[in-house]
Amino acid sequence: MDQSENTSLLDSLSSNFPSTTNDFDTLKIFVKEDEWVQAATKLKDEYGLSFFSWLSAVDWENDVSVGDPPKENVQPSFEILCCLSDTSDGNFVILSTTIDKTNPIINTLVNVFPGASWHEREAYEMFGISFEGHPNLIKLYLPDGFEGNPLLKSYELLTREVKPWPGEVDVEPMPESDEEIKGDDEQ
Amino acid sequence: MTTTIDPENLPFISETSVSVEIETEGMTLNIGPQHPSTHGVLRLVAKVDGEQIFNVEPVLGYMHRGYEKLAEVRTYPQITTLVNRIDWVSGFSNEIPFIAATEKLMEVEVPERAKYIRLILTEMARIASHFVFNGAYPLEIGALTPLFYAMEDRERVLDLIESVTGGRFHPNFNRIGGVKPAAGAGPATKKDIQDLPAGFYQETRDSMETILKACDKFEDLVGGNEVFIARTKNIGVLPSEVASAYGVSGPILRASGVKFDLRSTTDYLPYKDFDYEIPTGENGDCYDRWFVRLQEIRESAKIVLQAIDAVPSGPLQAKVPKIIKVPEGECYVRAENPKGEMGYHLISEGGLGPYRLKIRTASFSNISVLPWLLEGVLIPDLLAIMGSFDFVLGDVDR
Repeated sequence: MDQSENTSLLDSLSSNFPSTTNDFDTLKIFVKEDEWVQAATKLKDEYGLSFFSWLSAVDWENDVSVGDPPKENVQPSFEILCCLSDTSDGNFVILSTTIDKTNPIINTLVNVFPGASWHEREAYEMFGISFEGHPNLIKLYLPDGFEGNPLLKSYELLTREVKPWPGEVDVEPMPESDEEIKGDDEQ
Repeated sequence: MTTTIDPENLPFISETSVSVEIETEGMTLNIGPQHPSTHGVLRLVAKVDGEQIFNVEPVLGYMHRGYEKLAEVRTYPQITTLVNRIDWVSGFSNEIPFIAATEKLMEVEVPERAKYIRLILTEMARIASHFVFNGAYPLEIGALTPLFYAMEDRERVLDLIESVTGGRFHPNFNRIGGVKPAAGAGPATKKDIQDLPAGFYQETRDSMETILKACDKFEDLVGGNEVFIARTKNIGVLPSEVASAYGVSGPILRASGVKFDLRSTTDYLPYKDFDYEIPTGENGDCYDRWFVRLQEIRESAKIVLQAIDAVPSGPLQAKVPKIIKVPEGECYVRAENPKGEMGYHLISEGGLGPYRLKIRTASFSNISVLPWLLEGVLIPDLLAIMGSFDFVLGDVDR
């Protein structure tokens, strides 16, 4: 993205949305849970961000059974992300809100962007988040009898339990320090 | 035993016809998951009334491999192997946004030469992908011959990709900070590393010129065909507002008249160095979607021809640590893939692998508009419309 365009959009956005960051060319807006639909509508109508790119969630959890835990202690919660874009200059915005994990429920965006339907169904089955007002909140990918929400950090990856990591025996020991790849001029 | 009919006693046909309209009951027609026109394992549950569809519900998940979960237990260099397999028709271009997102968080400056090689191979992957469409789409609506021409020309591109990367479909060629040396060239630390194989430029030039000629051939053979026009013109018209609201991107969005191409608005690869057109359609029908993709082959071939004359010399790989650890941060990088917008939302917590990797694929959002678009169409048009969306199930289910 062109940095200057990004900055001008950031300026106009930060007057309306107080909590805005722009790290790594990714414009991110934080809103409260109850402003979720309203904020998306506003971005669509007033800023021309009419292209619905994607919607997903992040499970913030200190106690993880896959991968590495967050570096610093986090408040366990779901962060819901929705990416909206325009179809002229290539600006995009990531709308973010945080919801409680004990009763994960949020209003649906289907009435603003019909394309949100499948993305919300995916978040529903992968994280167990309910989208209030969604017309057809059923599983998207997973088979009917499937139990659990696979993208939760507490959900174990069973393949690793029943079958060792392929190629484990011939993995070289990790070097101790961060060596750099030697450049062309060396050797 | 045969019954004898006395023709004299038979009533006239015209008298027997019933004047009431025949009431048909709704029927559920299950298309797929193994139907040839579903490009893999997409299943459509269509409620039909006679030949007309009044409701269609796609059923996904037959190809779901859970890459977002797998990415959380892999290291960054390992993920490149996974993402190759998302849209397997253009494997190379899947790597680009992921690698670009990682490089963005690591703040690595990629050498120009590596960027150019990436760009050339990405455009070749686009040509290969669009040739598959150009062969398969006429096949789906009844023309067999274009498939053989398309496969022949696609093979030229795949051979070129193979000569550089060593792989036809899953090159796994990008490294964080640059690209790998060419297939069989030895370790990256060797002096005077051979990156592109001998004779690559000349072969590319010849192939691209053949491909430009092939596009003319396709335009006559397919676009000039009366049956093809009848099956595709004004079929499956997708207005641009609907396309945006559903997140439909790429050639389908451009066929609906939106001149939007991430190659020209973002700088993940140096496209601004080249002259090319962004083809758009007018009506947003199946014909436009076909024609836009044909034009894109031409434009990609032109970009490749310009790029091979301009590849700068220099290193292939930026200096990166041997063990890739991505600093804490979050970014979304998207790229214009043959099917549309593909992006990776990468959240790193400083570890060897991502904390969360959201993969935005083009085909998933593209086909989410199908229930809207297929309402009220006839069954033969369903095949024409689905074919014109050029989706790949790996790209839908991830």
